[in-house]
Amino acid sequence: MRIKTAGISELILHQFVRIVRGIAAVLVLILILSTVHAQEIDILLKGGHVIDPKNNIDSKMDVAIVGDKIFRVAKDIPANSSKKTVDISGLYVTPGLIDMHTHVFHGTDPNSMTANSYGGLQADAFSFRAGVTTVVDAGSSGWRNFPLFKAQSIDRAQTRVLAFLNVVGHGMLSRFDQQDVTDMNPEMNAYMIKRLYPNLIVGIKSAHFWGDFTSVDKAVESGKLANVPVIVDFGEHTPTNSIESLFMEHFRPGDIFTHTFSEINGGRESIVDEKSRKVKPFVFAAQKRGIIFDLGHGAGAFNFNQAIPAIKQGFLPNTISTDLYNLSMNAAMKDMSNVMSKFLAMGVSLGDVILRTTWKPAQVIKRPDLGHLSVGTEADIAVFNLKKGNFGYMDVRRTKISGTEKLEAELTIRAGRVVWDLNGISMPEWQMPATTN
Amino acid sequence: MNNTLLKKITANFYFLFFAVCLVSQTSVQAQEIDMLIKGGHVIDPKNKIDGIMDVAIKDGKIFRVASNIPANTSKKTVNASGLYVSPGFIDMHVHVFAGAEDPGYAGFGISNGFGSVAPDDFTFRSGVTTVVDAGSSGWRNFPAFKKQTIDNSQTRVLAFISIAGHGMVGTVHAQDTTDMNPVTTAFIMKEYPDIIVGIKAHHYQGHDFTPVDRALAAGRKTNKPIIVDFGSSTPKLSIEELFMKHFRPGDIFTHTFSGNSATNLTPGGREPIVDANNKVKPFIFEAQKQGRIFDVGHGGGAFVWSTAINSFKQGFYPNTISTDLYRNSRNAGMKDMANVMSKFLNMGMSIQDVILRSTWNPANVIQHTDLGHLSVGAEADVAVFNIRDGKFGFMDARGSVLNGTKKLEAELTLRAGKVAWDLNGISGPQWDAVNR
Repeated sequence: MRIKTAGISELILHQFVRIVRGIAAVLVLILILSTVHAQEIDILLKGGHVIDPKNNIDSKMDVAIVGDKIFRVAKDIPANSSKKTVDISGLYVTPGLIDMHTHVFHGTDPNSMTANSYGGLQADAFSFRAGVTTVVDAGSSGWRNFPLFKAQSIDRAQTRVLAFLNVVGHGMLSRFDQQDVTDMNPEMNAYMIKRLYPNLIVGIKSAHFWGDFTSVDKAVESGKLANVPVIVDFGEHTPTNSIESLFMEHFRPGDIFTHTFSEINGGRESIVDEKSRKVKPFVFAAQKRGIIFDLGHGAGAFNFNQAIPAIKQGFLPNTISTDLYNLSMNAAMKDMSNVMSKFLAMGVSLGDVILRTTWKPAQVIKRPDLGHLSVGTEADIAVFNLKKGNFGYMDVRRTKISGTEKLEAELTIRAGRVVWDLNGISMPEWQMPATTN
Repeated sequence: MNNTLLKKITANFYFLFFAVCLVSQTSVQAQEIDMLIKGGHVIDPKNKIDGIMDVAIKDGKIFRVASNIPANTSKKTVNASGLYVSPGFIDMHVHVFAGAEDPGYAGFGISNGFGSVAPDDFTFRSGVTTVVDAGSSGWRNFPAFKKQTIDNSQTRVLAFISIAGHGMVGTVHAQDTTDMNPVTTAFIMKEYPDIIVGIKAHHYQGHDFTPVDRALAAGRKTNKPIIVDFGSSTPKLSIEELFMKHFRPGDIFTHTFSGNSATNLTPGGREPIVDANNKVKPFIFEAQKQGRIFDVGHGGGAFVWSTAINSFKQGFYPNTISTDLYRNSRNAGMKDMANVMSKFLNMGMSIQDVILRSTWNPANVIQHTDLGHLSVGAEADVAVFNIRDGKFGFMDARGSVLNGTKKLEAELTLRAGKVAWDLNGISGPQWDAVNR
C-alpha cells in the first residue's frame, strides 16, 4: 500500500516494521540453524546399557550415529537432535562383535574342505542375527585362491570379512593339500599381505598338519616377514606334538592357539590335564608371555571337561570365536551369541564376554580401528537382549549345562545401517492405509 | 551223582535258560524304540491329532504315536512336556541354488548365484525339514542344482523348475520366451519325478500370459502344478483372468499378501488381492473355493501388513505359509520360517491352523502326501517347538511393525530320525553325567 502523506507516526511505524522484520529474520535464521542442529544425528540409540571395554564404559548411555560413523556416546543426548531415535531401554549396546574364527569361503568345489566349498558358509547368513559385524576367515584360502575368495565372498558380503591366509598356497582344499610343505611359501604369503591386501589379510593360519613343526614354522616365518600373527589348529598330530614347545619355542607373543578347549583322543594335546583336571602350568605361563588362546568352538573343539575346570582355575581364553562352518552351525556351536551365552552359563561375566568378542580380537588381529565405540569409528554396533529363563548349552559331545541367561541380538548396525532388527524396534508400527472413498 | 539230583539240575538249568531267554527278550523289547519324544502336545493335522501324545521313532521312521508309551521301551527319551510336536515344516517357497555365477546382466543371481542361500543354514533352526526351491533352476541347469545343492544338503530339497531354461538368472533372462520350452521342461521333470514337484513362471514383463501358459503346458504333460510370481507387466495384468481362465485347480499364486491398491498406485506390477477400500476382491474367495492355491511367499518385498490383516478380518487365509527365503529376505522382515509362522499366530490364526499350512497343506499342494504328517511308517521328520510369551515385534516387507505376544521357537528338529537341531540340548545328558 502506498502512503500518500508520510506523517511522523507513519515514519515511526515504518521504522517499527523494519525492526520487526529484522528480528523475524534473525529468528528464522536461528530456527533454521536449530533445525539443522535438530537433524544432525541420523540414528540415536537411546537408554541402553553400553558396554565398550576399550573405552571403559559400562553404564547407561546414548549412542549417536551420523552417516556411517559413531558421533557421540553420552548420557541423555536429546531425542530431538536426531532424525531417528530407537528406544533401547532394557537392552545392552556393544561394539559390533568380531568373530575371529570362521569359514566363509562359500563355493561349489565338491572336493574341497572349506576353500570355495559347501563347507564354507555365506557370512551374512550368520553374522548380523548374532550381533557380529566383522568375521575373520581362518585360513580357508591360501595365496593362490585368495583373489577368488575376495571376489566371491569378501566383496559380496555386507559383513566385514577379513582373513587369515593359509600357509598352504591352496588353502583348505583337502587334508592332503595341507601336508604339502612345498606349497608353503613365506615369501608369497608376505607379499600378499604387504603388497596386495594389507587391509584384508590379518595373519597366517597353519592347520591340520600331520608332521613336525614345519607348517607352524613356515607360518611364523611368513608372519615375521609381514609383521602379522599366526593362528594354529594343532589338531592332527599322531602322536601329539608338545603344545608347550609350540607356545614357548615356536610361537612369538601375539601368536594364536585356537581350539583352546578341545579334548580329543590323540591329535591335539589338551591344555587341561585329563587325569588331574588341572590347567597345565605352562599354559598360564604361555598366556602371560603373550600367547593368545582363541576358543574356536567348531564341531569338535569344545568340551566342558576342559572349559569348566579351566574357568574355575582362573583360565579364560583371550578371544571367544565360533569356528563357524557347515558341521558346527547346527550342532552345539550354533552361532556367536549362543557361544557367548555358554560362557555366561559357565560363570563368566557379561563384561568379560564382550571384551573377548570385541576389543580383544581387534587387538589380536592388529585392527585397533575395530571393536569399540570411540567417536569417529565406523558405526558397527550390536544391541542385545539378555533373556532370562532356563536354557541349555551343549558341547561337542552333545552333553549340556544349564543356564539362566541367553544373549539375543535385537539390532545390528553395520557402518551406520540397520542390517538386523529382530523385533522391528527401529521401525514404526503399521498403519491402515487410507481408502480412496 | 544220583538220577534225581541230575534231573533237578537239568530242570533248574532249563529254568535258568528259560529265564535268560525271557530277560533277553524283554531287553530286546526295551530297546525296540530308538528315540521317544515324551509328553509333548502333538499337532498332526493330517491325522487329526491335537493333544498330549508320545512319539516313538525307530530306524528313521515314525514307529508309534500314542499316549503313555513307556520310556523303558526306548534307547533314548526326550522330555518334551510343555512343548509342541509337529511334522517337520515344509517351506514350499525358497531359493537355495547357491553358487558363484555372476548373472552379468542386472538381475537377482538366484540361479547358481549369490542371490540364493544354502538350505541347511536356515531350515533346522526354524523347524523346517523340507524346502521346495521355487524355480531357481531351469531344465538346462537342474542337474547342476541337484548335484550341487540337493545331493549335498541334509534338508530334503524338492524343486519347482523354472519355465525359463536357465532358471532365475535375472530380469533380462526372464523375458526370453524362446527359452521357455514346455517339452524339454516336462522331459527333465519326468527324469526326476520325486524331486521336481511343479513349474514356476515368474518376472515376465510382457503384457501377455506366455510364461504362464508355457508352464501350464509342461504342467499338463506331467500332471504337476505351476506356481506363479505374477505381475511384472505395465499396465497390470488381471489376476482374475489368471485364476479363472488360465489356472487349473491346484495351481499356485505366490506372494499373496503383496501391497494393496491404496499403497501400490503404480500402473505396473502385481495386482493386489485387496481393493482400494481394503476389501478382498470377491473373485479371490471364488478362486480359492475352486481350488486355486494361495501361497504366502513372504520374501523381501511381498508381505504387507495392511493386505494380510484386512484379508484376515474378512476371512481370507492363505493355503500355504512359506518364506521366499533368499539373500534379500533373510535379514529383513522375513528372517526365517519360525518368524513368518509367528506372524500368523499374532494375526490371530490358531497354532493348529498355522501348522496345517506349514505341513499337510503344502504336502498336498506339491503332491507329496508321504510328507507333512506323523503317520506310522513315515520318515521321521519332526519339529519340536515352544511358543514363547512376551513382547515381540514383527516387520513386514516395508519395515512396518505388528506388535505381538507369541513367538514360535524351534527346540528340536529331527530329519529322518536324526537330531538335526537341538537348541537347548534337550536330547543330551548333563555334561558331568557321562564318562567320556
